[in-house]
Amino acid sequence: MGRYAIRRTIQMIPLFIGISIIIFLIIQAAPGGPETTLLATGRFVSPEILAAYRVRLGLDQPIFVQYFRWLGAALTGDLGYSYTSAQPVLTMILERLPATIQLMLSAYLLAAVIALPLGVYSAIHKYSILDYFGTGLSFLGIAMPVFWFGLILQLVFAVQLGWLPSSGRETVGDTGLVDQIKHLILPATVLSLLYIAGWSRYMRTSFLGVINSDYVRTARAKGLRERRVMLVHALKNAAIPVVSIMALDVAGLFSGAVITETIFAWPGIGRLFIQSMYARDYPLLMGIIMMGSILVVVFNLVADILYGWLDPRISFD
Amino acid sequence: MKHNTWIKIASLLMVVALLSSACAAPAAPAAAPAGESAATEAEAAAPAAEDGKKILRVAYGAEIDTLNALTSQNLTDIEITMVDGLIMSDNNNSYVPVLAKEIPTTENGGIVVQDDGTIEMTWNLHEGVKWHDGEEFTSADVCFTLDFIQSEAGQAVYNQTDYMGIIDCQMPDPYTVVFVWDKVFAAYATLFDTILPEHVLAGQDVLTYDAYNRSPLGTGPFKFVEWKPGEYIRVEKNTDYWRGDEYPMIDEIVFSFIPDPNTRVNALKAGEYDLGQILPNQVKEVQDLEGYKVDLVPANSWIIFEFNVATERGQKLFSDPNVRKAIFHAIDREAIVEGLMEGTVQIANSAISPTSPYHNPDVPVYAYDPAQAAQMLDEAGWTPGADGIREKDGERLSFTIINRNSRPERTAIAQAIQAMLKDVGVEVKFEDLENAAWLQRWLSTDWEAIIGGWIIPADPSLTALYACEGSNNFTGFCNPELDAAMIASDEVFDFADRKPLMDEVQLLMAEEGRELPLYYNVLPYVMREDLQGFKGSGTNLGSFWNVYEWSLGE
Repeated sequence: MGRYAIRRTIQMIPLFIGISIIIFLIIQAAPGGPETTLLATGRFVSPEILAAYRVRLGLDQPIFVQYFRWLGAALTGDLGYSYTSAQPVLTMILERLPATIQLMLSAYLLAAVIALPLGVYSAIHKYSILDYFGTGLSFLGIAMPVFWFGLILQLVFAVQLGWLPSSGRETVGDTGLVDQIKHLILPATVLSLLYIAGWSRYMRTSFLGVINSDYVRTARAKGLRERRVMLVHALKNAAIPVVSIMALDVAGLFSGAVITETIFAWPGIGRLFIQSMYARDYPLLMGIIMMGSILVVVFNLVADILYGWLDPRISFD
Repeated sequence: MKHNTWIKIASLLMVVALLSSACAAPAAPAAAPAGESAATEAEAAAPAAEDGKKILRVAYGAEIDTLNALTSQNLTDIEITMVDGLIMSDNNNSYVPVLAKEIPTTENGGIVVQDDGTIEMTWNLHEGVKWHDGEEFTSADVCFTLDFIQSEAGQAVYNQTDYMGIIDCQMPDPYTVVFVWDKVFAAYATLFDTILPEHVLAGQDVLTYDAYNRSPLGTGPFKFVEWKPGEYIRVEKNTDYWRGDEYPMIDEIVFSFIPDPNTRVNALKAGEYDLGQILPNQVKEVQDLEGYKVDLVPANSWIIFEFNVATERGQKLFSDPNVRKAIFHAIDREAIVEGLMEGTVQIANSAISPTSPYHNPDVPVYAYDPAQAAQMLDEAGWTPGADGIREKDGERLSFTIINRNSRPERTAIAQAIQAMLKDVGVEVKFEDLENAAWLQRWLSTDWEAIIGGWIIPADPSLTALYACEGSNNFTGFCNPELDAAMIASDEVFDFADRKPLMDEVQLLMAEEGRELPLYYNVLPYVMREDLQGFKGSGTNLGSFWNVYEWSLGE
């Protein structure tokens, strides 16, 4: 397994270079350039100043020159400076990363804690009321627009009931854990909904597939209690595919965080991404998207390795 | 061998949980003892009351890029609390002196025309003004600021070209600055809204000098405290403020960044903030909010429906003023103002807002009259074709409005106009573009019609927008008579000379029927009832211009 992981890791290098070329081209192919931010507040700026701005940023150079400049610097760990804030891209990303990871993992845990038991229950008690409830919740979770659901939660829990803060990560001047958790509840709920919906369905299907298999029948035949058969023997194998899907979804959560962070004014990478997108802040966009792609590729590998680790029938060679 | 999958899965979840709490840790330093959490909770409920400190919590829109007011591409509300300039614009669209004792004019002797045609402009500065680090503010800081703006790096300053007429900056003494101009620049009072500290920035690359750009040093009523990226910027009272001990009257201001306008309204409704700007069509939602009041600040900004004659097709369709005017008569602006903007805005007939002393109320008005519109189009030779759309010489009277997706209210207006024009046999199509793509398209002059808008300084100059060679005239329209009036108005200093010229400019624009002004924008602010002294200003310098005299509570 160790050799497998090393081989896969080495294979990632050309993959990342390929990804970076494609992203670099796509970002610059989008109509409108960073100089348009000069006009964003409705000020009037002469075309000469706009052209000079592009020259100052080096955007008058051929695109391959720009790419190799970027790549050369990136290989030494220098991701360049943001056009808008003139700060190093890496600094900006690292500043925002903890907030995003905190939100993602909270949503992830919440989704796991709700989805997995719900899926198991739905499988064991097929066509029960709670099973239908789970099905309904899944449809709702997949169909509901995130921004709308977020605003409704704000209206109910912040405006009407006053139990939770509407947005933000902390109350200024309050460093307590309770305050942080209160701020986390709404965005984490919104972000987790889609995964609760998906994972509970996978869990249900996977579990249904397992409980009809021979070894479960054998376990029952040995006279084991039904509870033990289900929660120990069946669950163990049913969980394997779900766990690898959950590993793959880590990267997906990252893109879900973009909308959630904007609605809840959460100071994470997702919001930074939206800002840099509107401003055509190329270096910052490159930095964030590359980080996202690394996340996808790495968690794909993690999913593959986890699968083999959990299921001894899978071999790596 | 027992392969314990269950334990493995559980341990994975444990790892996730640990990571999760590890990420929360940096924000909660020095692990507060459990007993304290109740106390912090109580504080959170009433932060304004903490040690009797008066804290103003502002729900602010997008996060800003840099706190250097000169190079920021955002509005400078936050910088203005910390950094002073020579001037500021007030709520009456006039300039008021800040670090200068008065604004030089020909009347008060501050502006003298020399024999060689150059102009000497003398600014007398306040004495005893201290930067936040205790250094004294002097004329050297003013000339240093000018040097930076005129340097190559100063290209990052959006109105750099306006400063280029200053050919010399003289410092006869620490409290006097003399600018020598090569020609008259009527809008001189719009300049120097920010002064940089020479003792901090001399020898630095101002554009990337984080020590200033992330924590600026000014002479203003508030001092920088903290900037949490993506979260908030906090400023506190400057106890050594030059206006005197009674100012500022608030101890601390926190600007929290809330980019989504709906969230901003929810946060205000939840009572989490004391002040925030919202959208005109959200006013109804907060009108009756207990403990809050709403102030509709008239913006120096007008929304227009405009055509482009820079393209061949644009020439064919819109070069006849009677066609343009006919289309204007077919647009029901009252319905747009009442229906789409919920009556929060005022119909515009000229580019200059009624809050400005330069506003001209006596200009032709394009009243809603579809019958007249149809008649005018008939007379212009555009007659209905088989599909009901008017035609002339094989050309259909059909055009495309490019919509900007970051301005949903303008898209709604375009849709209303589409329906109204259909009634008189004019077809409107749409192309929806993302913000930056829209801006690029607009700059390229390759478009037929837009719903646009400008925000201008308190100074009324419109030359850049409407002159034939105006740097931001992307419409292809050129009217030499209008040019003459605009350029003449830029070359006189005194209001009495300038006012009749600007009146003429507004009259000529309305008569030409180049564009249809739709309405003057408003900036609705929601604020706590006991916030006193807020005098919203609709200029590009914003509503925080007099923040030093705001107060909270009785």
